[in-house]
Amino acid sequence: MAEKKDFKQVSAYVWELPQSYDKRMRAPARIYGNAEIFDLAFRDTSVQQLINVAMLPGIVGRAMAMPDMHQGYGFPIGGVAAFRSDDGIISPGGVGYDINCGVRMLASSLHHEEIAPYLETLNAALYRACPSGVGGDGAVKVSERELDTVLEQGSGWALQHGYATRDDLERTEDNGCIPGARADAVPSRARERGRPQMGSLGAGNHFLEIDVIDEIYDPDIAQAFGLVKGNIVVQIHCGSRGLGHEVCAQYLKQLQGAPARYGIEIADRELVAAPVDSPEGRDYLAAMAAAANYAFANRQVLAHFVRGAFEQVLAGQVSDWELHQVYDVTHNIAKIETHAVGGKQQRLIVHRKGATRAFAPGRPELPAVYQATGQPVLVPGSMGTASYVLVGTETAMAETFGSSCHGAGRMMSRNAALRDKRGEQVRDELRKQGITVRTGSLKGLAEEAPSAYKDVDLVIDSVTGAGIARKVARVTPLAVIKG
Amino acid sequence: MGRWRAVDHTADFALHVWGDDLPDLFATAAQGMAALTVAETAGTSVMLDVTLDALDVEGLLVDWLNELLYLSERHEVCWTAFVFAELSPVALQATLTGVPIAERGSYIKAATYHNLAVHATPEGFETEIVFDT
Repeated sequence: MAEKKDFKQVSAYVWELPQSYDKRMRAPARIYGNAEIFDLAFRDTSVQQLINVAMLPGIVGRAMAMPDMHQGYGFPIGGVAAFRSDDGIISPGGVGYDINCGVRMLASSLHHEEIAPYLETLNAALYRACPSGVGGDGAVKVSERELDTVLEQGSGWALQHGYATRDDLERTEDNGCIPGARADAVPSRARERGRPQMGSLGAGNHFLEIDVIDEIYDPDIAQAFGLVKGNIVVQIHCGSRGLGHEVCAQYLKQLQGAPARYGIEIADRELVAAPVDSPEGRDYLAAMAAAANYAFANRQVLAHFVRGAFEQVLAGQVSDWELHQVYDVTHNIAKIETHAVGGKQQRLIVHRKGATRAFAPGRPELPAVYQATGQPVLVPGSMGTASYVLVGTETAMAETFGSSCHGAGRMMSRNAALRDKRGEQVRDELRKQGITVRTGSLKGLAEEAPSAYKDVDLVIDSVTGAGIARKVARVTPLAVIKG
Repeated sequence: MGRWRAVDHTADFALHVWGDDLPDLFATAAQGMAALTVAETAGTSVMLDVTLDALDVEGLLVDWLNELLYLSERHEVCWTAFVFAELSPVALQATLTGVPIAERGSYIKAATYHNLAVHATPEGFETEIVFDT
């Protein structure tokens, strides 16, 4: 088991385990975080999980963990690793079950004082309009044929059906559609699970939140993102629902024989992998992209119903308001991207498991509106605490394949959280802070108590200290819907 | 007689499971998972047959638990009793008995292969399973 002393401190925010630590490692392993975050990494098995990633063939640069790192299954959460696209691997365990779990932020021209009288009603309307809970049906029914379009076109399907604007698509990672998706690569059971769930939050750590922008750190970039101090924003955190879970589970099963077939050594079966350029690898990539597209469409449909709920509640009360999309980021994904490696441009497959893309200004993947600013990086905090809007940097491009953190990161197990507080207590504590809460599961609320998470400020200080993102704005919650 | 114990995991759920034999291990793991995911049941029991195969016993255990999660989501039923017509390390045939779910418990997305190993012991079998939540 690696210990703190085995790591070399590269800077105040970067710690590196040399490749020589274990002869099976094919790259060094890096942890991003200040001394406190680095200490926390040794409380669970996440360091070993990171080392396991560093052992995978075709890895380029380093196996990395962002400051919100914690124990996962396979990759650690907060894990980033890139593999050569010619002889490297793709691993469903490096993406996870909730393919393209991500966050969308809608910003408004509404001042929080303007909507304060309607907040309870608004939260109730959002709760009705955006279904949540385990297995629950979604707001929209799609036919088998439409599902093919969802899988292959993502938010493009939503645009055709009036659930999106062109601006929404422009302000979504990959324009809401990862290329190469194939509906026929998605197992039938995944389709069966996903078809009724379009437009639903799900459960677990998923949420919908109304927040107020309480701090602006970079006025110019905040203006470009449409963020005004005192105004409210809406955050939507969810993913590909049962469809994504099933794609992951089925391909993990299919790939169980692949390591032996292709001579890939793995330290953990959850890391089963196939060469990117193999029939198994290509099929998984096509299915993963399809599940990711489903998730983009899902968040887009939810955004549509969020706007509808606002319209319904504010009609005749408040006029001249809008909810425009700031951005939509994915934090469970593997994507083909080109990065500079040793001075040369190289095509890589970048796995981000609980990590967010954080591209610098000028990257061709960014829309025209963000070419000069860099990509908005949305980092939700734990329920009841601040969330941040960051922006991607050149340091991230140089060091982390343009990646940054995705949240606060859990610190306490769900069992410990349940022992610590009851759901009613968590709800009352949030209410005392002036936060309205709606949930279908008080137990779920207890599992997601803010005290179960790291202090998001520590995580943000670490990513900004390391230079892999810069602060733009902070938001704090007014109303929460917990899936 | 099988037993299970919840193991602390930072983000997800994990269960340590003991069984006198493989059917006992599989049934106990399923009961442990049901205890996490279902708070209350009510109504008339239902039955269903399941057939699965896998490369090895660990793969079969993951398939088994994920099949039960899927069938629980699809039928809104908590599976509580299991009769195995066949259970080898690579295949199983089982009849499930379940009761409709009145209130759900914690949310589990899937059973994972993470560090999964089924160990034979003098008392039977044991394993530890991590669930993605």
